[in-house]
Amino acid sequence: MKKLVLGLAAAAALSFAGGAQAQGYPTKPITMIVPFAAGGPTDIIARIVADNMSKTLGQQIVIENVAGAGGTTGITRAVTAAPDGYTIAMGHLGTFSAAPATYPGLKYDPINGMQTIGLAGGTPILIVARKNLEAPDLKAFVAAVKANPDKFNEAHAGLGSVSWTTCTLFKGILGTPKINAVAYRGTGPALNDLVSGQVDFMCDQIVSVAEQVRSNTIKAYAIASAERSPALPDVPTTKEAGLPDYQIEAWNGIAGPKGMPKEAVDKLVDALNKALNDEGTKKRLLDLGTVLPTAEERTPAGFAALIKRDADKLTPALSAAPKQ
Amino acid sequence: METFAHLSLGFGVALTFKNIALCFAGCLIGTLIGVLPGVGPIATISILLPITFGLDPTGALIMLAGIYYGAQYGGSTTAILVNIPGEATAVVTTLDGHQMAKQGRAGIALGTAAIGSFFAGCVATVIIAALGAPLTKLALLFGPAEYFSLMVMGLCFAVVLARGSILKAFCMIMLGLLLSTVGTDLETGQERLTFGVASLMDGIDFSVLAMGVFGFAEVLRNLENPEARDVVKAKIGRLLPGWDDLKQSAAPVLRGTFIGGILGILPGNGAVLGPFASYTVEKKIAKDPSRFGKGAIEGVAGPESANNAGAQTAFIPLLTLGIPPNAVMALMVGAMTIHGIIPGPQVMTRNPELFWGMVASMWVGNLMLLIINLPLVGVWVKLLQVPYRLMFPAILIFCCIGIYSVNNQPLDVAFTALFGLFGYLLIKLGFEPAPMLLGFVLGKLMEEKLRQALIISRGSFMTFVERPISAGLLVVAVLVLVIALLPSIAKKRDEVFTE
Amino acid sequence: MSLNQIERAQGLRVRSTQDLAGGLFMIVLAFGAFVFTWDLPAGSLRQLGPGMLPKAFAVICAALGALLVLTSLRYHGEKLQGWSWKGIFFALGGACLFALTIRGFEFGPIRVPALGLLVAGPLLIAFSGLAADDRRIKELLIFAVAMSAGCILLFKYALGLPIPLAPWLLGI
Repeated sequence: MKKLVLGLAAAAALSFAGGAQAQGYPTKPITMIVPFAAGGPTDIIARIVADNMSKTLGQQIVIENVAGAGGTTGITRAVTAAPDGYTIAMGHLGTFSAAPATYPGLKYDPINGMQTIGLAGGTPILIVARKNLEAPDLKAFVAAVKANPDKFNEAHAGLGSVSWTTCTLFKGILGTPKINAVAYRGTGPALNDLVSGQVDFMCDQIVSVAEQVRSNTIKAYAIASAERSPALPDVPTTKEAGLPDYQIEAWNGIAGPKGMPKEAVDKLVDALNKALNDEGTKKRLLDLGTVLPTAEERTPAGFAALIKRDADKLTPALSAAPKQ
Repeated sequence: METFAHLSLGFGVALTFKNIALCFAGCLIGTLIGVLPGVGPIATISILLPITFGLDPTGALIMLAGIYYGAQYGGSTTAILVNIPGEATAVVTTLDGHQMAKQGRAGIALGTAAIGSFFAGCVATVIIAALGAPLTKLALLFGPAEYFSLMVMGLCFAVVLARGSILKAFCMIMLGLLLSTVGTDLETGQERLTFGVASLMDGIDFSVLAMGVFGFAEVLRNLENPEARDVVKAKIGRLLPGWDDLKQSAAPVLRGTFIGGILGILPGNGAVLGPFASYTVEKKIAKDPSRFGKGAIEGVAGPESANNAGAQTAFIPLLTLGIPPNAVMALMVGAMTIHGIIPGPQVMTRNPELFWGMVASMWVGNLMLLIINLPLVGVWVKLLQVPYRLMFPAILIFCCIGIYSVNNQPLDVAFTALFGLFGYLLIKLGFEPAPMLLGFVLGKLMEEKLRQALIISRGSFMTFVERPISAGLLVVAVLVLVIALLPSIAKKRDEVFTE
Repeated sequence: MSLNQIERAQGLRVRSTQDLAGGLFMIVLAFGAFVFTWDLPAGSLRQLGPGMLPKAFAVICAALGALLVLTSLRYHGEKLQGWSWKGIFFALGGACLFALTIRGFEFGPIRVPALGLLVAGPLLIAFSGLAADDRRIKELLIFAVAMSAGCILLFKYALGLPIPLAPWLLGI
């Protein structure tokens, strides 16, 4: 029934728009749903990328923030919209890979139920701790946590957040899922209490913590990527620091409802690719500590594979995490 | 002396023609969106972010900061004229500000708010310049336990806010706390009282609740008694505050600036408490507290100054620590990062022209807001003369579009209507919505901080008493409560005797 | 003016139906909240569960409500006043119409297409305007059109908010 209505609505929109949908997409502004409040990391990346994509497409991409339920409200709206190419969404690791294991009642299927466009950028994850924590490096820290899990307090930015997701994976790998987890509403307050030493450690995106690490108000044990980051060249990778299993990156990528016209998909992929090759856009993204996606990840198939890979990686730890 | 050198560097940056123009543009847009209910600085700043791509970082931030404190100014206009608090900090202004408007003293209320805010803004600018770095340590002294105690203290203020029965005020505070628990639990992800409605999953939005119980309910109340609403347009007093008004507001402005300035530095949006605390103080030290809630000018001057001082000192944790204390500041972090400046403890030393330019522009911005707003007072007051039969549909459409734009969720508008009905019911039952809103605003933070503190202390309530700052705040809370309760307990005893 | 309602009521010799209703209202709300949070675990002191605070607040609400009921039986206060259904129906109904039409709605068999601000705006103003006793239909209709046009210019174009304008007509 719903499909029929959507179809009718799409048909109506099509007839009113002069039947110009297939030829010359796009003929009207495109809505990009950002499933988080304005100003967050995803919102910023979406606005930077959309700004340039609009130029290529010749139509404005309008950002619509639809926050709620760890981003799943907005993604639900986007992937259940009419698949005409005029509604797309900028999601992230949480909404596309972690959500099925985090939210049991999820109303969309990121693997089979949507049309991926491509990855917009990746953000390395760091394990950071208060500056006066005894353990000098990751090995010592891991040993201390394993020996005495009850002595540690982990801070995270709320269930479903990137810091919660990545730290749950970290705790899963350590085999200590029951560390005292202190939930904060967002990264800011969590970081504040880490700087003032109220809590012991957290995992978060490099863009949030890099300046604090550089100013020595907190210390970084490792970066959970394959390579060191140019933003923090002194921080070893998890592989170098002795925890090679912990490899995770927070990323942002674009997807839309399943069944979008091929022309729309192609044009969006092309526009995204051009945006990521544009010097100005590239610089803005790199300034954020973003890792630009590989050519493979910029394609629908490559992005879908990434979603699947990280979902497989996260699901066991997230399902075992103490919740619900 | 160093401060002067820094400030002259700052003014050198802020007083270039381009930056003055950007500051003016920001203040103007900010005032506009502040006046429009629902459309807050968050939505506007995010929309304007891409426009600032072409600017240099300092200019962009000067403009965005202008939007932020411009919105604080504009918000009080709506609170005074139509009794709609756009943000939590404007709730207190509705109490006496709107009463003043009803008495034909809207111009004086608006003028007092503008002048008080200007003074507070100037003082806050100096505080940021001179004491920003040392005051940062204050923010770091506040852990979850201290925060929880601060919230408890704030709730005790709400008792003083009450105009009528204290018992009913308690009811409203608890109801506000109960409403604040709606939504997905932060720690476990379980849904509480959401009834499966998607737009309730992140809790009830402040603007939905505030616009319902204040804006919509007020419309319903006015529709019911046409006499009350006609008073507003019947007499228009003088447009700007006179010397007597200014003399009367001088001390409240000073106290409000101090209180708001201190609370603004605290992370986790301590600035919200500023106006409430200021109102409490003014009402408690007033010779005749019964004037409050009926159009006391101190009840506008103090809280408005506290609001603006807090809005500005809230920049301290952002600029000196790189940690945003509230959602708008988080957006400023976003704006800075987009421009290649990652906020952190070193912004002050690494980007001095940005830091001091922004500080200096705050003073420039406050001056501009005064220049923009004082002439507007006349316009606003004229607007009150629009017949109410046309005014309330206009209020409704502004509210509806504003609420819709918060999350782009039509259901939010329907919820606001529902809360309008709820607010109307509260009016009929003799309950006041202001304590409920305070309970609602503090409730979320309070639960969060309580749970954090108990996890860190491994379940020991002693943590609230053992930590000196926390214990001190709790003592203040008890004192406020006792002072508020004593008269009414005595009265009740008298009543028993007279019967 | 006293801080306390009881003082205000001195001299009156009627019990307060308003306080009684208010107390019962609190109890009903608290009871509802308690029932709907029944399943949520309260947790332990060391790790408070999601149910702890809602249940605690509900209990306190109910207790305060009971106290208010007692007060209303003991002390004098205000009487309950009548309702104005007209305002509720037109003003709040107008807001609901706006919510239903702005971007469409689907609830079971009821379906409303996305009409956008171009339709929802005048609809809201015209419908809610009927609530005023001194309404003038012609004036109201002109005002509805003019005001909506102003809002479209202000919100959609000046502020650039992503509000659907008229998806069925203009595609945006």
